[in-house]
Amino acid sequence: MNAVDATNRPEQPDEAEPASLLTIILDTNPRAWAMIADSLPLSKTIANLLVFINAHLAINHANKVAVLASHSERAEWLYPTATTTPDREADDNPNGAQNGDLQMQDRDSAGSGGPVLLPIDDANKYRPFAHVEHTLLRNLTNLLSTTTPNAISSSPATMIASALTKALSYISKQSAALPAATQSTQFNYSDPTSVAGGNDLSNPSANKSSSTSQPLTSRILILSVSGDLATQYIPIMNTIFASQRLSIPIDILKLAGDTVFLQQAADATNGIYMALDTPTAHAGFLQYLMFAYLPDASARAHLITPGEGAGVDFRAACFCHRRIVDVGYVCSVCLSIFCEPLPDGTCLTCGSHLSVGNYGLRPVVVARKKKKKRKEGRVGEESRGSTPAVG
Amino acid sequence: MPRAIPGVLVECDASIKAIINRINDQHDHDFIIEDIDDEHVLIKSSKLDELKLLLKDALKDSVRENEDSSESD
Amino acid sequence: MSSTASQRALDYLEQLPGTTFTKLYQQPSTALAIFRRMLPHLAKNLVMAMLYMPAPFPIADLDAWIKPDSENAQAKDRALSILQRLRILEESDGRSYKLADAFARSLRLALTGGGNHRSFGVPCSTPDAKAMTVGWLDTFARQQWEAILYYVVGSVANATLGGEVQEISEGTKQLLQKGEFVTVKGSGARAATAITEKGFSFLLQEVNAQIWTLLIVYLEVSGELQMDPVDVLSFLFTLGSLELGISYSTSNLTPTQQQMLEDLADFGLIYRRATDTSRYYPTRLATTLTSDAPALPNSSLTATTTTQLNNNAANSTFDLAAQSEKGYIIVETNYRLYAYTNSPLLISILSLFTQLQTRYPNLITAKITKRSIQTAITSGITSQQIIEYLTAHAHPILRRQAPILPPTVVDQIRLWQIEGERMTAWRGYLIRDVGSQEDYEKAVQYAEALGVLRKEFRSKGWFFVSRMDQMSGYFKNLAARRREAMAAQAAASQSGRSSAAPP
Repeated sequence: MNAVDATNRPEQPDEAEPASLLTIILDTNPRAWAMIADSLPLSKTIANLLVFINAHLAINHANKVAVLASHSERAEWLYPTATTTPDREADDNPNGAQNGDLQMQDRDSAGSGGPVLLPIDDANKYRPFAHVEHTLLRNLTNLLSTTTPNAISSSPATMIASALTKALSYISKQSAALPAATQSTQFNYSDPTSVAGGNDLSNPSANKSSSTSQPLTSRILILSVSGDLATQYIPIMNTIFASQRLSIPIDILKLAGDTVFLQQAADATNGIYMALDTPTAHAGFLQYLMFAYLPDASARAHLITPGEGAGVDFRAACFCHRRIVDVGYVCSVCLSIFCEPLPDGTCLTCGSHLSVGNYGLRPVVVARKKKKKRKEGRVGEESRGSTPAVG
Repeated sequence: MPRAIPGVLVECDASIKAIINRINDQHDHDFIIEDIDDEHVLIKSSKLDELKLLLKDALKDSVRENEDSSESD
Repeated sequence: MSSTASQRALDYLEQLPGTTFTKLYQQPSTALAIFRRMLPHLAKNLVMAMLYMPAPFPIADLDAWIKPDSENAQAKDRALSILQRLRILEESDGRSYKLADAFARSLRLALTGGGNHRSFGVPCSTPDAKAMTVGWLDTFARQQWEAILYYVVGSVANATLGGEVQEISEGTKQLLQKGEFVTVKGSGARAATAITEKGFSFLLQEVNAQIWTLLIVYLEVSGELQMDPVDVLSFLFTLGSLELGISYSTSNLTPTQQQMLEDLADFGLIYRRATDTSRYYPTRLATTLTSDAPALPNSSLTATTTTQLNNNAANSTFDLAAQSEKGYIIVETNYRLYAYTNSPLLISILSLFTQLQTRYPNLITAKITKRSIQTAITSGITSQQIIEYLTAHAHPILRRQAPILPPTVVDQIRLWQIEGERMTAWRGYLIRDVGSQEDYEKAVQYAEALGVLRKEFRSKGWFFVSRMDQMSGYFKNLAARRREAMAAQAAASQSGRSSAAPP
């Protein structure tokens, strides 16, 4: 009876924004950082990144953050700390410890749990901030100090694919761990219309119970410094499609190097891609973070997001030599891409025998025959034929 | 130059408006600041509670409240 | 950013003078708390984008950043309006925005740490010999707070309901009277308290909003007691940033804040031993002041949405006590109501708008009748509040169905309210004589964007707004610009050119 009265707006302030989970993948490849050490050393980046993380946590009490290092030979959690097989939670965590799953020591959201004893008890710092900072720095120091020169020289790449996979599984787990008041908000793998990223709010029943069951909106930010990821083409593309499917935007901030696939990742998942590769741009690193990368999905609905939408390089890498190709050969059965004709005509991925005549020859461009147009009484034929070229 | 008049905007249907007008007339025109239209009237802030009481009395006289008819135990 | 709680605090903050804001913003924890609690989401992102910007943010750039359609423009206007009302955003030379210096400095300090403000609370350096568990603190907070609620509601309910409820302090009683939650009738030994309209709506709010409502009364009263409101507010915001289960030292508090500790302990916001005054524990009521988390765990449905990874152990002791309160009401389509509770407080609250029928050890039955609802409505409770209360405390069984409450009951409660209501009234300002049709349209649009527009009377060229401060600013600006334009035009016509007229 009481029709909705739009004039009552001030009494009903904005609905609470859903909590958002920001997963940052930091490329820690020592080589690449050494290259840009003059304009943006790693230490400064971390300092700026911490301010950015704090800003993210400040925006909403329920916001969460996770940081991964994509190192030269492995991907490692920086925050929260991963501990294998904890014994104390074995009882009350049925889906965790028994399977040998990783347990995440998360900061308990603003004092909902017992005291976390920190070596740094500083009254000048908000404790949750101090906690993240402390954990992150400790894990990063661990990671860097355990890296042997050998490992750097043997693998110049960075494990973006592995880090992305870890990030996605973490996000999945967090979304599932969030107790959903209504069943419908929970991600159901067997239902292709549901989304775990929570960014898709088209599900009306999920919307209805707005303030009580907030879905977790997640996004991934990759700080990339190294180039050449062609060797990881397949796993990277797989994670990209997974994120696209879960509507998790992948934001890319490129500090150095040149990577084709990350740009595609941002493009495919509606993320933001920006390349800061000049020293001036490096100087404004924090401002870029705060301005472009801080807004979460609900804020981006209001904003025009920056980035280079046009001119995305959609090239792929071949499955046989991981070369980036402009024109290649595609298996008609499994759609694998090859840079050169296969020697025995068998697809390397699915093993189908590809019997194509003129195999390995470039297609011959045949000049179009000019048809003599017969106008009278041949209308039907003309519509069946190909569209006549204009001019 | 725009003018802003502080007060209480009262929205009601036309019949109630008539009663408010009558109350106003009976009380030396001490309620209404601005008669806006058939369903809206601006009254003095200080007089709102008094008006509510008077209106209730007036309604009690004129409208027969039908008794609660929800089923008994 | 949900709830009426932040709205209440916002209303209070808004009427403070500008100098108070400057003083308030000196403290990083305050800046952080206001940032987190009071601002709409877009405003937060705006502040963060500007925080490390070396130069003021040109208005034109801001407009370009926000999607141009009307809905987003409205969100932008709302964000800017709140930022300006809280003195966070300043317009410099009319062409760009900048953050207030004190606020920006403090917020940066909050994000980076450092400085020597000690505003995030000084934890006790020595461990407490008998440290308080979180569960115990929760129980303490609940007891204290429910005692206050029971005092408010107890003045209507008969005392025969039983259950032991502790007495609240004299100061709290006075505060509740000051805030007009209860009134005292009679005098001396025969004095009896009676609940007021404000008291009713106070009872039906969610806990977080209740705390803020009470604290704002406290703030108003503290001014009369020669307590510095800045000191009081700063301390409240500091409390909001403390961590549950840790004891903090009282050594660096100002005298005003020392004095506050006692009152806050009465409310259940902090716990302090009578024997050891050098340390205090914030309770969940305090630590959730500046967040959206539920103030009393499991007191409503929202409790389940906070991730409780590490505090399973801490919670289990509390669960027993909270069980009864977590969704205990069943409403049937025949207006019957069953409530699984034996808490005198909850029974008293239910008795405000239902007709109690039978009481069993763990269950009471009641009926929603026209009379009971209309009694509630005449005492100042709205149908909306009743419906919200029933929804928030609905039993898990009811929660499984799509509309949680039976629609017939909800509609009927609303109808019963409307039946008595023959007129609606808004306080505010009638604006007339705006000028040309175009001026009128623009002014109405502006009011709409601010969210103050209540009603417009297009045919007369009048409209009604709920608050005037910003509208009068708008009209003044407009008039000033008109005058400038006139002057410029006059100058231009004198010099023979006509291109100088600003838009």
